[in-house]
Amino acid sequence: MNFFGISLGIVTLLIIGLGFAWVIRGERYFGYLWWPYVLGLGLVLIVASLFLSNDWASGVVGALGASFVWGATELKEQAVRAELGWFPFRKQKIHPPGAAVIRKWRAPHL
Amino acid sequence: MGINWTGLVSACSAFFGIWLGHVAVRFFEARLTDIRPAMAVCIALGLGLWAGALFAPVAPLSAALGILGVTFLWDAFEFYRQERRVRIGHAPANPRNPRHARILAECPAATPLDLLDRDPVGRPVTSEEAVRLVSDDRTKGRVSL
Repeated sequence: MNFFGISLGIVTLLIIGLGFAWVIRGERYFGYLWWPYVLGLGLVLIVASLFLSNDWASGVVGALGASFVWGATELKEQAVRAELGWFPFRKQKIHPPGAAVIRKWRAPHL
Repeated sequence: MGINWTGLVSACSAFFGIWLGHVAVRFFEARLTDIRPAMAVCIALGLGLWAGALFAPVAPLSAALGILGVTFLWDAFEFYRQERRVRIGHAPANPRNPRHARILAECPAATPLDLLDRDPVGRPVTSEEAVRLVSDDRTKGRVSL
C-alpha cells in the first residue's frame, strides 16, 4: 500500500493550519496590501517544486506554494475581520513597496 | 533534470480543494435544512479518496487523492463551523432556509448581511457603520469574486 498521499494530505492540512496563523498575524502587522507579493511567492514555490526530484520535497513545497496563493486571497477579508473587531486591529502597518498602486487593484478573494 | 509533477499536482489539489470546498460548504450550508447528511457525504468521499490514495501506483496520483481526501474530511467539519459563524453573525444567514430562520430568531448577532463583502477602510468600524459600508458597496454595484 502507498501511504504517501495520505501522509502528504495530513502535512498539507498542517500547512494550511499554519496558513490561518500567518494570515492573521501578517495582516495585523503588515496589512493586506502585501497580497501580490504573497501570491508571487506562492507561484514561485509551485514552479520550484517542479524541479525537486524528491517526491516528498516536491509535494510539500507545492502544497506550501498553494497555501501562499490561498493566503493571498484571504488577506483582504482578514483586514475587514480586524476592522469589525473579530480580531485585534493594529493601525500601524508596514506597507509593501508600491502600496499606492496596489491599493487601486482589486484584491482577490475566494 | 526531469520535471517532477508531484509538487504541481499537490498545489492544484490543495488550492482547488480548498477553493471548491469553501464555496460548496457556504452554498450548501445556506440552503440545506439539515447539514448532517452533507457532512456524512463529505466524510464518505474523503475516506473513499484516501482509500484510492493507498492503491495509487504513482506519487502524483497518490498526492492528489490524499490531499483532496483531507480537504473533503475538513469540509465535513467546516459545515459545523459555518453554522457557528452564521449564529455569531460572521457569515450571512439565509432567511429562506428554515434552519437559518430559526437561528435569526434565536441569535441576536445573526444577520442576513455578509459583513465581509466590502473593501477594507483602514480603521475599526462600529456595527452600524459595518452595515452601512456593506450596503454602500452593494449600491455601487460591487460584486464579490
